[in-house]
Amino acid sequence: MTYSNSIAVNRQNYSRKNQNAVSFRSRERVLGPVSNTIVLVVLACLLGLLYLTQVTKTNSYGSKAYSLQQQQSRLQNQYNDLEVASAQLQSLNSIQSSPVSKNLVPATPSTTINN
Amino acid sequence: MNNSDKRYDFRAVRNINYIFWIMLLIMGLFVIRLFYVQVIKYDYYKKSALKGQLQQSRIPATRGLIEAHQGNQIIPFVLNQQLFTLYADPFLVKNSQSASEKLVSILGGTLSNIESKLKTPKTRYVVLAKKISQAQSDKILALKIPGIGTVGQDYRVYPQQELASQILGFVNNDGKGTYGIEQALNDELAGTPGYLKAITDINGVPLAASKNNIEIAPTDGKNIVLTLDIAIQKQVEDIIKNAAIQEKSPLVSAVVMDVNSGAVKAMANYPTYNPANYYDVTTPGVFNNAAISNAIEPGSVMKALTAAAALDQNVIQDNTTYNDPAHWIIDGFKITNIEEDGGAGVRSVEDVLNLSLNTGATWMLMQMGGGQVNQKARQAWYDYETNHFKLGSSTGIEQGYDSPGVVPRPNIPNQSGDQQDLTYANTSFGQGLTVTAVQMASALSSIVNGGKYYRPYLSDGIIDAQGNIKYNKPKIIDTNVVTSKTSKSMVSLLQQVVTKHFQAGFSYLNFPSNYIVGGKTGTAQVANPKGGYMDHEYNGTYLGFVGGDKPQYAIAIFVTTPTVNGYAGSYGAQPIFGSIAHMLINESFVSPKGS
Repeated sequence: MTYSNSIAVNRQNYSRKNQNAVSFRSRERVLGPVSNTIVLVVLACLLGLLYLTQVTKTNSYGSKAYSLQQQQSRLQNQYNDLEVASAQLQSLNSIQSSPVSKNLVPATPSTTINN
Repeated sequence: MNNSDKRYDFRAVRNINYIFWIMLLIMGLFVIRLFYVQVIKYDYYKKSALKGQLQQSRIPATRGLIEAHQGNQIIPFVLNQQLFTLYADPFLVKNSQSASEKLVSILGGTLSNIESKLKTPKTRYVVLAKKISQAQSDKILALKIPGIGTVGQDYRVYPQQELASQILGFVNNDGKGTYGIEQALNDELAGTPGYLKAITDINGVPLAASKNNIEIAPTDGKNIVLTLDIAIQKQVEDIIKNAAIQEKSPLVSAVVMDVNSGAVKAMANYPTYNPANYYDVTTPGVFNNAAISNAIEPGSVMKALTAAAALDQNVIQDNTTYNDPAHWIIDGFKITNIEEDGGAGVRSVEDVLNLSLNTGATWMLMQMGGGQVNQKARQAWYDYETNHFKLGSSTGIEQGYDSPGVVPRPNIPNQSGDQQDLTYANTSFGQGLTVTAVQMASALSSIVNGGKYYRPYLSDGIIDAQGNIKYNKPKIIDTNVVTSKTSKSMVSLLQQVVTKHFQAGFSYLNFPSNYIVGGKTGTAQVANPKGGYMDHEYNGTYLGFVGGDKPQYAIAIFVTTPTVNGYAGSYGAQPIFGSIAHMLINESFVSPKGS
């Protein structure tokens, strides 16, 4: 029996016993089993959607974090490159072979300074 | 309702029932199949699914840096740098000429070289260039040439090039420290790799919302500061390189050690190599830090130790004299001196060191035995060699191979004294035993610093993530190597040797009066692998110190078979000592008296 059939049957009962009576019963709105099921399914779908959006959002954060990690790694590499370049420029060999160093007048004492 | 309607209803109900049961059967089959797949075969399908999605990888730890002193500064000595290898799959490269032109415009080099590699037949992988920079890699990848790719790899970078290469060692292709400090402190430098286990998307990006993800961060290696002073190291390397070339020596080693801590300030060998190109080295022997791994017979520098042992046992005094017969017969063999030392006569302890008398060193050994070389003398001298001066055992310095050297035992089984006295007489003047330069520098340090034997060390401390240095404390192994009286006597005696040598014509041994410089030469016969000694080959050695109010640095020099006009010790090793001592004084590495 469907929901509309059930209402029709109720109305038939009233029409038989008290045809002229005025119905005083308050009109309660009660969801039947089908509506309940539909509502539950919709709610479940909503929850599922919510779950999916959250998971997607979290994963998109993961992707962002991964991307930032990659960027951090690249920046660290650049920093290392600069540090290496700096160390190479300051190395004794570089200083020794620099134009400034080559133009210096040799002043190495042949013996120890007596002071 | 008539009969036909009833039949119709009956058929409809029956059909509905059939459909119901068929649907139920199908549903049942689905349920059974799902139960089989989801419950019974759960593990199998889970594994299959994860195989495609789950990425498991090792996160490499960053290897610790190696730094060193330059005056008051700490500067990087060994760094890390990620460089890239450019590779190609020739099968996928359709237009090799166009690709080559694009690559050459970024990398430089010759077009034909790259083009010929891109045309290599029957291979899917060819390396086009190694160690290209990240910027170059980015530019190449931006070209999106099919079949061309780059892969990153961490490399050790040596800004000071070959400086101290044998102390540093290198990191091989497997990421393992090989030779030197890289090998000795590999565990500290390497750190602990991390681990990543994650469900990933199609691009390999880990999905954050997976409960199966595991990420264990790597523990990076520790940054280590060496005791070396780069300025001293560089100059010592230059000095020994020039000497090796001038003296045509195949191997020269030098050690400069702080006598009051055991900290090695410079340690150098020539020939050397550039650790960045270790794979180009054709003679693997050059990887060895000879100052630590090359144990040789030291020759007469040993007399300084013999004198210290005899003084310390109170069997001689620093002013004792004796009648030197110019030779001794020990076990039927004659022990003599060089011709220039003259014949028999009254000799002092100072003469023994200054003239480098073999008979004098033997006489000192005799005094340890009550007047002759015997078991008592052997035992006493062996005790000083091994227990006091720590010869015959590894020093424990942080290097890949630390040779213990060889000190003959005082009682050799089945020899019952036969030639043992001769062997021991030989050890008193530095033959018949082998030592390394670092062992001798450590032993001399303990003699001239008042009697404390410090473990020689190269690792000065560890730098934390904030850049703070936690220094290692010098480790005292023994506090009673010699008494302070013996120590003072030895400082004075060795100073006199330098003074006498200066007076004898070695003009470069002229040092200012506000510094103290002492030392002893050694010329050692070279052992013949076939037995006995080589006829005309000698190693030159020198063991000395330099300081102000008290000795500050011990210096050990080993020169292998130099070609010089004179004794290898005086004309091969001594000039190197002189140059290093002058350098230390002139450049204010040594504090003068009263400072």
